[in-house]
Amino acid sequence: MPQTPSGTTEATWLAERRTAAKERLGTLSMPSEREEIWRYLDLDFDPGFESVPPGPGSSNDDHVVTGWHGTVVSIVDGYTTSQGVASVGELEESVEIVRGSDLFSTAFLAYAPGSAYVGEALLETPVLVDIQTTGTATTFPGVHIDVPRGGDAAVVVRMRSTTDQAATVVPSITANVGDNARLTLSIIQDWNYATRSLGRGVIRLGRDAGLTFSEVGLGAKLGRLHLDVDFVGDGSHGKIYGAYFGEGDQVLDYRYFMNHIGTNTRADMFLKGAVADRALSVFTGMIRIEETGKRTESFQTNRNLILSEGAAAQSVPNLEILNNDVKCGHGSSVGPLDQDQRYYLMSRGLTPKRADRLQVHGFFEAVIEQIPDQHVAAWARDKINSKYITAQEEGRV
Amino acid sequence: MSYALEVRNLKARIDDLEILRGVDLAIPFGEVHAIMGPNGSGKSTLSHVLMGKTDYQVEGEAYIDGVDLLSMTVDERARAGLFEAFQYPTEVAGVSLEALTAEMAASNPDDDGFAERIAATTERLDMERFLDRAVNVGLSGGEKKRSEMYLLGVANPKVAILDEIDSGLDIDAVREVAAMVEALRSPQLGVVIITHYSRILRYMDVDTIHVMVGGKIVRSGGPEIAEELEGAGYMEYQVASAS
Repeated sequence: MPQTPSGTTEATWLAERRTAAKERLGTLSMPSEREEIWRYLDLDFDPGFESVPPGPGSSNDDHVVTGWHGTVVSIVDGYTTSQGVASVGELEESVEIVRGSDLFSTAFLAYAPGSAYVGEALLETPVLVDIQTTGTATTFPGVHIDVPRGGDAAVVVRMRSTTDQAATVVPSITANVGDNARLTLSIIQDWNYATRSLGRGVIRLGRDAGLTFSEVGLGAKLGRLHLDVDFVGDGSHGKIYGAYFGEGDQVLDYRYFMNHIGTNTRADMFLKGAVADRALSVFTGMIRIEETGKRTESFQTNRNLILSEGAAAQSVPNLEILNNDVKCGHGSSVGPLDQDQRYYLMSRGLTPKRADRLQVHGFFEAVIEQIPDQHVAAWARDKINSKYITAQEEGRV
Repeated sequence: MSYALEVRNLKARIDDLEILRGVDLAIPFGEVHAIMGPNGSGKSTLSHVLMGKTDYQVEGEAYIDGVDLLSMTVDERARAGLFEAFQYPTEVAGVSLEALTAEMAASNPDDDGFAERIAATTERLDMERFLDRAVNVGLSGGEKKRSEMYLLGVANPKVAILDEIDSGLDIDAVREVAAMVEALRSPQLGVVIITHYSRILRYMDVDTIHVMVGGKIVRSGGPEIAEELEGAGYMEYQVASAS
């Protein structure tokens, strides 16, 4: 078996994939914000792909999600460090869903040590995947979730930094949900404010498979998640939720594609976010219905609160429909706190600050109450509320 | 002794449009007054101006238990003891009624009676099943009025202004609201009911009725006024006011 950067061996298919990706990487340059898929982003930085560390740094074992009782899979600087958890590199053939040919996706294929493989054996209890970066190196953490036919899996992925040093991370989260299977996947993006994260997610749903996906985006200097959900199997269905809060100079970029391929598939996408200071959020939503996607029902909604004058939100829902027998809809809004609500709450005796806090809490609640994992929901509610209260106390909103 | 609410020569306009043209009003503690008038007479504007809605330019004086109201912000007026039950209460998605009353209590740290009033009013108005529902979201017209009356009970104000409290309700709901208002009567509270129709006044005792036309109180008197208005409408006053 060929050698990896860290000196271990890996499967032939992975080594071949790596070599091909490295060759392609040589022909690619840093993308430009002039390209639609990178619009609004400042990509003027050195991605530092050459700095991939040879092994994991020292991890932080304080386990993150209070009250968690399931299995924990640790990925430190891109390396799976938990005993008994396989890397895809140990599998005979590739199970990951590779998507995208841009610089970062290619770099992932070239440099990732090998995604953690979360399959049937691990999925009997809920799984927490704890992704950490420990230094300044560019790292490629990956996790592939494989829910067998008829299975029912719950996975939380938390991404965090153990220091406040600047780093670039290229995470990849992929999932294959078998026929009649269910996946509940909750992602917490909690990088430090110096980190650039260019994340990719691909989830493929089999026949009558169900997905409940949520992402809570709070950290990162640049936090991007480009998610594809492929409704391949007939009757597959998904609920996709998101809540994000940006402050300072944060840029949070969501690019969510619902790809309807099978018949009778259904998707509900609902993201809510707030931006303060000079933060920017970007939502690019796409409902794509293939010719084969008869009787698809797909909806996308994105609502944004602008909390400071210098903050901005871009919200761009799109539809591409190649079959007539479908129901689709989209809604999008960007605006400040509601004056009528503030007046009403003040007329009940609430100070303006308390009125606004309650309104912000209420704004996010519609999404947060839908997050299936109660630990994640409680964590998100608490974090967002306290971020807003701090911003209020510092006079930033 | 001061009045629960006293209003002197209150004027309000939006730019060049004069809506209140010098309103005088005195509501003693313990009494229930009604302000009646045709559409556009300024009844609802009066309640908004007193609550502190910022759309208006205001002149004149208003006092709650002798304390100057007009210099205060909306929330200060509420904490000073003014409560407006809105005709169309705003929906606050994602915020439960329980969360709202908790914040009302937290905004009034000097008032330690909230917990007791929340428990008592919840029971009296049978509100248990509404406490974890979002404020005014998805409620019927009658349920919204009930929710407003609930918040009134929790707030324990000195003055309650009930704006068009009977609008859009069927007759059973009107009776129910009338009974809730009757139950509010207390020596520590002055109540102002703003209404277009005399219907609700059939089901409750009102001490004084004020007729408002063209931005002024044109007549004040006993419950017999309601009966007259039911027969003759506001025409007589409108003609007088226009001349």
